[in-house]
Amino acid sequence: MTTDVLVIGGGAAAVQAANRLSTAEYPVTLAGPGQQQTAGKGVEVIAGATVIDVTGMPGDFTVKLASQGKAVTKKAGVIVVASELAVTPLLGAYGLTAGETVLSLSGFEALISDDAKRGKVLSGEKTVAFLAGFAQEGNPLLMKRILTCVDHLTGVTGCTAYVYINNIKVADDGLERLYKKGRDKGATYFKLQQAPSVSQDGNNLSITFHDPVLRSDIELSPDIIVCEESLTADPTHPALAKALRIDLGPMGFLQKENVHRLPVGSNREGIFVVGPGRDVENLTKSRADIDNMLLRVRALIGDGSLSVTAKAVVDRDKCVTCLTCYRCCPHGAITWDNKAIISPVACQGCGICASECPMDAIQLADFTDAEMMDRVKAAANAAGAPKIVAFCCRNSAYEAGMMAAAFNYELPKGLQMIKVPCAGKVDIQYILNALAVVDGVLVLACHTGNCKSEVGNTYAKWRVNDAYRKLEMVGIKKERLVFATLASNMAADFARIAKDMENIVREL
Amino acid sequence: MKPKKVTIIGGGIAGMTAAWELAESGVTVDLIEKSGFLGGHAIQYTCKATSECLNCGACSVEKMLKNVVENDNITVHLSTEIEEIGKASPFSVKIKKSAVFIDGAKCTNCGICFDKLKDTGLIIRGYSKNNLPLFAINPDKLADNPNSLKEICPEGAIVVNAAPAVSKLTADAVIVATGFTPFNAARKGTYGYGRFPNVINGLDMERIKRQNGFLARPSDGAPAKKIAFIQCVGSRDENLGNLWCSQVCCPYALRSAESLKHKNPDLEITVFYMDIQNTGKSFPVFYESCKNDIRFIRSIPVDIFPEENGDLRMRLFDETQGSPEMETFDVVVLSTGIMPNTENKKLSGQMGIILDADGFFAFADDLNKTATAKGGIFIAGTAQGPKTIADSMTQAGQAAAGALKYLGVTK
Repeated sequence: MTTDVLVIGGGAAAVQAANRLSTAEYPVTLAGPGQQQTAGKGVEVIAGATVIDVTGMPGDFTVKLASQGKAVTKKAGVIVVASELAVTPLLGAYGLTAGETVLSLSGFEALISDDAKRGKVLSGEKTVAFLAGFAQEGNPLLMKRILTCVDHLTGVTGCTAYVYINNIKVADDGLERLYKKGRDKGATYFKLQQAPSVSQDGNNLSITFHDPVLRSDIELSPDIIVCEESLTADPTHPALAKALRIDLGPMGFLQKENVHRLPVGSNREGIFVVGPGRDVENLTKSRADIDNMLLRVRALIGDGSLSVTAKAVVDRDKCVTCLTCYRCCPHGAITWDNKAIISPVACQGCGICASECPMDAIQLADFTDAEMMDRVKAAANAAGAPKIVAFCCRNSAYEAGMMAAAFNYELPKGLQMIKVPCAGKVDIQYILNALAVVDGVLVLACHTGNCKSEVGNTYAKWRVNDAYRKLEMVGIKKERLVFATLASNMAADFARIAKDMENIVREL
Repeated sequence: MKPKKVTIIGGGIAGMTAAWELAESGVTVDLIEKSGFLGGHAIQYTCKATSECLNCGACSVEKMLKNVVENDNITVHLSTEIEEIGKASPFSVKIKKSAVFIDGAKCTNCGICFDKLKDTGLIIRGYSKNNLPLFAINPDKLADNPNSLKEICPEGAIVVNAAPAVSKLTADAVIVATGFTPFNAARKGTYGYGRFPNVINGLDMERIKRQNGFLARPSDGAPAKKIAFIQCVGSRDENLGNLWCSQVCCPYALRSAESLKHKNPDLEITVFYMDIQNTGKSFPVFYESCKNDIRFIRSIPVDIFPEENGDLRMRLFDETQGSPEMETFDVVVLSTGIMPNTENKKLSGQMGIILDADGFFAFADDLNKTATAKGGIFIAGTAQGPKTIADSMTQAGQAAAGALKYLGVTK
C-alpha cells in the first residue's frame, strides 16, 4: 500500500487541501487545471491534468492522468477531490448585454478594487442597481459578495445602491449584520417575487416592477446595473465521477445528499470530496471539510497500514465471473482476475452482491445464508402468535425496533426481528422461506436517499415485488408481505407498522 | 506515552461528534453534559422523511450518540456542570454532579417513575434508547422535598444527596460545545406563546409528533388541519438586537411541512417568512416541490387572536393581494431562533475567552472558526453561532482535528 495522497483540483480549496496533507507528512500530488504554483514545497504538482481512469482499491489506487498531452500514472492510497466552483454571468437571463454600465458581479468587484477605474466610473453621485435571485435561487456565498459590494458602494461619496432581489440568503455568520449595515447607510432593497422588467438601450438603463401595495409601477433609471452570476459545480464533475466511479450528486456536485456521506465521504472508501467538490462552499467551509478529511485519511491509512477484516468472501469455485457483483456494488469494492475479488478495505458489508449473485458464490462473514435461514427457523419456533418476521436493516429499522421495545411501545407478541446489514441483503429466498413458516413478513429498509449503501433499499423493494409475483403463483396472499421504510429514530412508526401487520394477518 | 485527555463541555451533537473523533484517535475524553441526556436539542427532533429522506440529519444524531456510548475512551458525565475551569493547559476542571439523579447502575429502565409522576413532569423520558438510563430528573420541576422521590423507584435508583458531588478532572485541551438557548417565544407577547395553547414552537411540535405520530392540537388533541409556520421568531429582529439568521428554521419549517403534508395530504400549510434560506445543495429542486404543497406568504404576522374553540385568527398580508386579510388557523408553529446559550458569559469569563457581538463564542481565525485566541481551547457547533446538525458535525470534526494537532497526536 501507499500513503501517497492525490488531490484533484486546481483552485484555492485544492491547494489548501494539498498543503494541509503535506503538513501532516503525507506525500501529496496535486493534479488539475489552474494555479497550483501556490502549493507548498512538499507538494508535487501535475499541471493541466485530467483524470482518465482509476483502478485499484483504497490504499493502492492507480490513477491515469492526461497532462498537457502526456499520459501520467500515479499511485495513491487516497484520492481527494477539491474542485472549484464555476462562475457564470447571468446577464442574459435579464436580457442584458455586458458593457461599460452593465456588469456582472465579478466585473463590478474588479472595478471597485481598482482605485483608478473606481474613481472614474463611480464619481458623480451614481446610482447602482443590483439584480439577484431571479435567474436562480442564490446562496449565502453570492449574497455575501453582493452585500460587500453594497457596503463598499455606500461608502463611496454620493453613490446610491438599489438591490432588486428575491430571497436574501443570510444564512451564514455575519450576513444579517452586513445587510443591516448597508440599509443603515442608505441602500434600498426591493424584495420581489418576480423579476423586474429590465431594459438596456445603449447607456440608458431602466428597471421597472409593480408594487402591489402602491398598486403602481415603479421605475428607476440607474447609471449602472450589476447582475448576479451563478456559482455552480465544476462542469467536469460528470466525467470525473465516471473516471473515479463515484456517484454524481444533485446539481452536479460529487456527493449525494445522503447523510451517511457527511461530511466528506463519497460512496467509495478512500475517495473523499471537500469544499466546492461537494457543495457551494467558501474557503472557511472548505477548510472545515479538509480538517475532517484529514481525520478520515488518518483513520484509513494513518499508520501506513490498512487494518481490515473481510466482510464478504467469494467462493472461487462457485464464481463464474458473470460480474453481476461488480455491477451492483454501490461502493466500487469489486474487481476481478479470473474470478471476482472483493476488496476488504472498500467493502462496506452491505451484502447486495451476495444477494444478487446468481451462483450464491458470495457469503457475508457475519450474515451467512445458513445463519439467516436458521434465524428464520428460530423465529418460526419462537413463542407468540401470529408469527411475524421483520427483516430489519441494522442502520435504521433494527434501531427503531429496539427503540420501540425500550420505550415500551406495544409490539406484536409474535414479532421477531432479524437484523440484516442492509435491506439489500434480504434475499428473495429469505422472504419466501419465511413466508412458508410464519404468518407475516416485513422487509424494513431505510428511506430513499438514506441507504448507507445507496441502493440497498431499492434492491429490497425489487425483491419484495418479485416475491409478490411468486406468491401469487403459489396462492399465498400478498398482504402477508409488507415493505416499508423507516429511520433509526422512528420507534412509534415501527410499532405501528408491526401492529398493522399483525392486524392484517389476523384478519386473513 | 500517556494518552492525552480532553474535556468537552456540552453533550449535544457537536460535543458528541468531537468526542467520538478524538476517542477514535486514542484520546481520552470527558464529555460533560448538564442535562440528563446526551444529544442536546438535536436528538429531540423526529425524522422528516416523506417518501424519501429530506436530509434533516436527525438520524445522524442517533447514530453518533450510539457511537459515543459504545466508545470506551469516552466518559460521559450526565447531569453534571462545570464548577470551575482553568484558563490554560493543562486545565484543571472541577465538575459538579447534580444532587438528585437517576443512577444508571441501578436503573432498569422500567419507566415506573415516569408513569407514576407523569402529571408532575418531574421525570423526563429520553429520546434515544442508547442513552441510559432512559429517564432523568427534570431539575426545573424538582420538588422542595426531593427525598420523597426515592420511594418512587423500586430499585432505589433515584439518588437524592444532600449536596452536589464535586470532583476534579484534568485536561490537556478543552472543547466548548455548549450549544444554544432557544428564543423564548413568550417575549413576543402578541403571539400569545404560553397563553394560547395552540401556539407552539418547533420543539413543542416535535414532542407532540413523537407522542402521537401526528400533529395534535394541544387544546383538544384533534389532528391539526390548517397550520401556520411563522419564521424568524427572535432571529433577524432589529428591535431585539438579534442581528443574525438562525440558519436552521427555514430548513426545519420546510421539511416539517413537507413531512406533515406527506402523512396527511389534506393539511393546509402556510409559511410566513421574510426570506427563505437554503436547505442543502438540492434546494432549488426541493423549494420548487415545496411551492406545490405549501402556501408561502412573505410577511410576518404581528398579532394572533385566540377564538373560543382554540382556533387562532391572524391578520395576514399577502403581498400578491395588496391588502390585509384575517384568516384562521388551528395551530401556529413559531420558528423560534437560536440564541446564544445564556451561560456563555459565565463560561467565557471562567476560561478567559471572548464572546462576539451577538453573544456567541468568538473565533480567532476567519478560516477556522473552531480556533479561539487561546491555545488548547476550541469551540464547536452552535456555541460559535447558529448551525444545522450537519454543519455542527463538520465543525466538531474540525475542532477535534485542531485539538489533535495541538496535543501533538497528529501533525
